Amino acid sequence: MRQIIEGYPKEPRYLLATLQDIQEHHKYLSVESMKMVAEYLGVPESRVFSVATFYKALSLVPQGKKVIKVCNGTACHLRGAPKLVEALEKELGIKNGETTEDGFFTIQTVNCVGACAMAPVVMVNDRVYGKVTISQIPEIIEEERKDAV
Amino acid sequence: MVEVTIDGQKIEVEKGTTALEAARSLGIEIPTLCYHEGLPPDGNCRLCQVEVTDARGRTNLVISCMYPIKGPVEIRTDTERVRDARAFVVKLLLARSPHSPVLQHLAEEYGVEPLDARFVPEDETDLCIRCGRCVRACATLGNNCIEFVWRGWEKEVNTPFKEPSNSCIGCGACAQVCPTGAIRVTEDETTRTIWDRTFDLVACERCGVRFATPEQLKVVSPEFKPVDGRVLCPRCRKLEEARAVASGLGAQEEN
Amino acid sequence: MRFETIKDLEEYRQGLLASAPDIPHVWVCAGPGCLANGSMEIYEGFMKYADEHDLKADIDLKAEATGCQGFCERGPLVTVRLSKDANEIFYQRVRPKDVPEIIEKTILGGNVVDRLLYRDQATKSKIASTSAIPFYSHQKKIVLRNCGQINPLSLDEALAADAYAGLAKALSMEPAEVIAVVKDSGLRGRGGGGFPTGVKWESAAVVDAPQKYVVVNGDEGDPGAFMDRAVMEGDPHTMLEGLAIGGYAIGATRGLIYVRNEYPIAVDHLRIAIEQAHECGLLGKNILGSGFDFEIEIVRGGGAFVCGESTSLMTSIEGRAGVPRVKYIRSTEKGLWEGPTVLNNVESWANIPQILLNGAEWFKSMGTENNSGTKVFSLVGKVKNSGLVEVPMGVTLREMIYEIGGGVLNDREFKAVQTGGPSGGCLPASELDRPVDFDQLKAAGSMMGSGGMIVMDDHTCMVNVAQYFVDFLVEESCGKCTPCREGLKAMQTLLHGLTSGTAKPGDCAMLKEIAEHVRDTALCGLGKTAANPVLATMNWFPEEYEEHEKEGFCRGGVCSGLYALEIDPDLCTGCTLCERVCPAGAVSGEKKKPHTIDKHACVTCGSCIDACRFKAIKVVRRSE
Repeated sequence: MRQIIEGYPKEPRYLLATLQDIQEHHKYLSVESMKMVAEYLGVPESRVFSVATFYKALSLVPQGKKVIKVCNGTACHLRGAPKLVEALEKELGIKNGETTEDGFFTIQTVNCVGACAMAPVVMVNDRVYGKVTISQIPEIIEEERKDAV
Repeated sequence: MVEVTIDGQKIEVEKGTTALEAARSLGIEIPTLCYHEGLPPDGNCRLCQVEVTDARGRTNLVISCMYPIKGPVEIRTDTERVRDARAFVVKLLLARSPHSPVLQHLAEEYGVEPLDARFVPEDETDLCIRCGRCVRACATLGNNCIEFVWRGWEKEVNTPFKEPSNSCIGCGACAQVCPTGAIRVTEDETTRTIWDRTFDLVACERCGVRFATPEQLKVVSPEFKPVDGRVLCPRCRKLEEARAVASGLGAQEEN
Repeated sequence: MRFETIKDLEEYRQGLLASAPDIPHVWVCAGPGCLANGSMEIYEGFMKYADEHDLKADIDLKAEATGCQGFCERGPLVTVRLSKDANEIFYQRVRPKDVPEIIEKTILGGNVVDRLLYRDQATKSKIASTSAIPFYSHQKKIVLRNCGQINPLSLDEALAADAYAGLAKALSMEPAEVIAVVKDSGLRGRGGGGFPTGVKWESAAVVDAPQKYVVVNGDEGDPGAFMDRAVMEGDPHTMLEGLAIGGYAIGATRGLIYVRNEYPIAVDHLRIAIEQAHECGLLGKNILGSGFDFEIEIVRGGGAFVCGESTSLMTSIEGRAGVPRVKYIRSTEKGLWEGPTVLNNVESWANIPQILLNGAEWFKSMGTENNSGTKVFSLVGKVKNSGLVEVPMGVTLREMIYEIGGGVLNDREFKAVQTGGPSGGCLPASELDRPVDFDQLKAAGSMMGSGGMIVMDDHTCMVNVAQYFVDFLVEESCGKCTPCREGLKAMQTLLHGLTSGTAKPGDCAMLKEIAEHVRDTALCGLGKTAANPVLATMNWFPEEYEEHEKEGFCRGGVCSGLYALEIDPDLCTGCTLCERVCPAGAVSGEKKKPHTIDKHACVTCGSCIDACRFKAIKVVRRSE
């Protein structure tokens, strides 16, 4: 953690970048880590918390090993993304935004991943699934679960 | 200097003067919520709108608290469009905080018909209008204990990590500047509680009234500087200073 | 290698061009769409084959992964050119197992692989040459000219394609002359607003300040738009070059690129390109011996749509929550860290090098009056040929959708096209012949925006579309000002009432009133335009709003519970496709005979509507 934080110069402008790096490595921002960042960069804790809660890429609760991002950009929306979210919620027994109890999966909707021609698109971590249909959802989950184990 | 017309009255103002300042100097009342004279303006509540017509004849709605007068413009503070825009702002804020006396009063003034129950959130007791005067007050004092957190409709003012803030000195400036009384400060004989943190209160060494927190006194500011080694409440402090001046010790005090 | 002077650079470039061997060349598209379709495996397939068969990269074949080639619908794409003067052969929907055949038959044998060719839908004939495919033949590429043509990680390839020649030319001119060229060209901000770029530069140039900045807005947040991603990933040097030219013109020694968090590949490619340019003296101190110093750094966005708004973006770069500021003082006077700042989006910057190189007149020769040049669009939604296209300004919507886009998916009826993202609007069929430029779209109640163009068919509910954008904006509003924070929420409540059949009489009128007020009173660009999707759909499709409010009927067949489905026995061929996709088992019938839908079992998910190839599924009012 220290290593990530001290990788930046001690300037307030690196607040967002530091938090993003912590998010990437630890999958969420603990209160501890945010306090460390505040101290190192010399910014008020209130500002760290403000930034941490403002940006969607930052999370205050741990994310699953596999973050399933359902693209809900306009093209994906028109081609049935909301139905995919419903199917995923049913398959995993959690709501959009939540993480499964075993810590494997988190469902998120995101606004356009920029692969509109492949709509509807689902990303699992960095892997992209294009033209996804409701019937493919169980297969995708199973495949990703195997990979996570 | 620039000459502008406000509601038909002409006035010369310094370049950069805001429309609000200019209007107020003429005694023209413009309602405000997020604006506070002692704080940097933020322009977020959108209540203080006025119409400005520039030299090219273009008319726009602007927020008077931040609109800088740069040239000879005509400002109108009470047109139908202005009243309509202000009424809209009040209507929205009132739906969020239906029990706020300040907003109820404004609603009456602007003839606002409240939005129906579908638009009122479950928690009807929320008085906060997210204007951030508290945040700016705290930052201006250099404490930065509260900030806006989350965003959009979920946005609210809170302490870091929703924990009692370490840097809070319990000065209560946030509550003092709050236009709707949304920030709760409770005091009993010996303590003051604000933002979930309870502070001791120090007694005035002259009259015995408990008036400030020790954390506040630690911050070296003129209003809390001990007088003759004694910690005094603002009232006694003034009395003591007056007495000192009267007895010719004023000059000595200055040193 | 380090270029000390402009002459060094040009000599090196000539050397590259002269020494390039004339060998078969393969470009595998690694743009977002093709990548998602497994194009990397294809690229690796080429490398592996070459390796196993001892083919040499400088003698037998050069295979490269490129940025987006545009025709995403048909991906993965592989383009082959046998020699410098030969036509490019366009292979589509290529799979890894096709690689040996492409090499053996085409590259070694000189013949095309027929089954991988594009088949034109109108003429039913196959087309081998890229430039003859209607999707490409109507395009004019300036911004995308290198995307899909070069390896984005190779500086040499960029240099061979004229990279930094525009900068070299600019550095031999006075800054004011550079600004004059950009101003003359009539280039307008491609991020959506359409403000004249040269005018913006000029207003920052005249301000005297110790530190000025040029900034790239790469926070491409409009859902349905990915053109900036394509440029940053596929041709990073062009944008760096444009930025450096801007820096020189206004007297800024620092440039910043704000890239959307969701685009990690763009960040990588930009980072590599910056290092490359730095190493050889195209960035850094005393560029090409001109005395001009320029540094570029990348800032990653944190996932907030509002950061596409200029003041929010700058606040975000400063490391704060990206909340907009009241803008009575322009950023060109006081922007980033209080310094004069010119902010343009990716596409605007990417236009600059070519404008410098070819001149203002050349740029003005394309497009329409007051709208010179080209515009990149992501053509997506219910259209046959989804992809990335660049056309001269002034092309009509019909040309875009029917000639380039190939028409509406499944030949359904066209209902609307959405432009301008959450700040824009929808235009109906009656507007199809409208030329597309900043002024024309605005006049029709929509806007250019960054260039998302989303086609909608008759199985689209315009109230639902409005709700989609308002839901999006409620989530993305920063919450600073009252109209956007509270007003959008109220609009959302009304729209959800309409789409769920619980609206009250007068709700549409109330929605319109709130929307107009939000437009007039919000603080920033996001808030001021947030009502556009609602106002535009209300303007062009009032009947749909009325039906939702008064009858609880959704003619688009989208809002659950507000319609019933029937099969038209005259159109149904009994192909059973609908029966197979129905999740509720509500469709039944004998094969090759008209099917029927059990209305009680039907969950109105609409799957059958999209599945049917004969337009036999009809949306009807619910019977009492």
